[in-house]
Amino acid sequence: MYLYLPVALTSINILIPVGLGLAVGLLSGLFGVGGGFLMTPVLIMFGIPATVAAATDSNQIVAASTSGTYAHWKVGNVDFKMGLYLLAGGFVGGLIGVQGIKVLNAMGNADFVIKMTYVLMLGGVGSYMFVESLNSILKKDAAVEKEEKESAMGRFLKTLPLQTRFEKSGVTHSALLPIIFGGFVGILAAVMGVGGGFLMVPVMVYILRMPMHVVVGTSLFQILFNCIEVTFLQSYTNHTVDFILAVLLLIGSTVGAQVGAVFGRKLKGEQLKIILAVIVLLVTVKIVFDLTMTPSLFLGYSGGH
Amino acid sequence: MNTKAFMYRIAVFLSVVAALWTLAPREAAARLTATANHDHISIDFLYHGSSVSVRGISDPGADLVIAITSADGEQALKKKGKVAGFLWMNVGKLAFEKVPALYFVNSTKNPDDILSIEEREKYGIGYAALEKHAEIKPVAGEDEKTKWFDEFIKLKKSAHLYDVSSGKIQVTEKDGAQNYYILCDWPYQAAPGDYTVTVYAVKDKKVVEKAEAKVQVEQVGLVKLLSSMAKEHGAMYGLISILAALGAGFGVGLVFRKGGGAH
Repeated sequence: MYLYLPVALTSINILIPVGLGLAVGLLSGLFGVGGGFLMTPVLIMFGIPATVAAATDSNQIVAASTSGTYAHWKVGNVDFKMGLYLLAGGFVGGLIGVQGIKVLNAMGNADFVIKMTYVLMLGGVGSYMFVESLNSILKKDAAVEKEEKESAMGRFLKTLPLQTRFEKSGVTHSALLPIIFGGFVGILAAVMGVGGGFLMVPVMVYILRMPMHVVVGTSLFQILFNCIEVTFLQSYTNHTVDFILAVLLLIGSTVGAQVGAVFGRKLKGEQLKIILAVIVLLVTVKIVFDLTMTPSLFLGYSGGH
Repeated sequence: MNTKAFMYRIAVFLSVVAALWTLAPREAAARLTATANHDHISIDFLYHGSSVSVRGISDPGADLVIAITSADGEQALKKKGKVAGFLWMNVGKLAFEKVPALYFVNSTKNPDDILSIEEREKYGIGYAALEKHAEIKPVAGEDEKTKWFDEFIKLKKSAHLYDVSSGKIQVTEKDGAQNYYILCDWPYQAAPGDYTVTVYAVKDKKVVEKAEAKVQVEQVGLVKLLSSMAKEHGAMYGLISILAALGAGFGVGLVFRKGGGAH
């Protein structure tokens, strides 16, 4: 059955957004990512204008991350304090990132810088997570080694001011740490035009040393607020949120997020990390493939990357 | 009384003359007609494209060209090119001016064979004529303009918005007149707006007559409401979208808890 989308100005078979929502929602609930890296290109492939695809995806993520945060919160896996610090940093980072895009556009090579940053970030983060989680799955001794390494960096981090305890995550850090790294992810996310979940998750795991299951819940919590902000700004300034498409997507994604959260509890932290790493690496390969293959059309509508 | 009766006779006489004049075969110059049967297309939620048929009468023996187009407009598009020798990405923008968003042309025979170049350019029939009329900025020279215009047509064809073909017009002769009929698929990708159907009667490589009809495509009901709200009340539309998403997320969360999902 086809449904007409009033803002996208096109008609779509409803099974496509519902199925896509289900798949991406599953990833959300499992790994604490928004899934924009997957959702937006697929929507564009089905004829949704790039600007509408990106804006509507953030609207949909509001629902998926609410559903996911709720599921993780029920089992005590959301660190609200950490989430709020990351959000504060991310908010400022986003503002800086938007200015950064203006500078890049003025320099005339925005697209090149954005694409390269994206590929390097995805490739780097994916490879690191893959190797690290593979090591910890293969040999349990790795944990001991890691402890030693951490103490060197840990001593430095302990010297930072505003040390505070994050109960849920079971870690003590300077409040500056999540704010600075939240800001860093915010800048990159704004420049790349993505939500940044795939960067925020590794930051929480490797820099903030949070347990994987709390990382997933907390990541969803802060994604929720980011996407509320983006949905509002997109509706207000660009008028590109398609409510009907968002509803079709969220029918699938809210359910997917619940299933993902339940399924995720049955997996170990390392297993979650390695699957996420593989997905991130596959997306990297796909982007590199798109960049090097001769396109079938040499013109495109404005708005997408 | 006499005057009244006289006036009455005059009136009857004039009516008969008028009726005979209407029924009698007219000269070619006033013969071409065009009617779009489906001239008002409503877009509701179940809309998945439609069809438009055009029928009319023309001078026997005349070839026909039927064009359905939107008004000329401007479109900014991103162009892709190679960077660093092997990476394909957007390398700038091109503004296409004086181009219609939708352009369908069908004719009884290939327009190149039945119309002179001058006539095709004058009436904007065929891609070559469209290219001549269009402006692309910035391009360096005619070769580059042709290259990007060809790409533009490829993009439009991929969205089912441009088509030039021949042979779909059915023509039948009846009572010394030629009846024609064409049925075109109307793509759902065509945006709401007004479209013009122009029928050209062609003889001796020239357009001898022209007739027009309109097709109006309009959003109705809830589709129209949502679309205009998104444009005119962006803030409220955004808030409603956010609240709906929050509600749905919580709702599903609650359903799963009640369903025994909690461990």
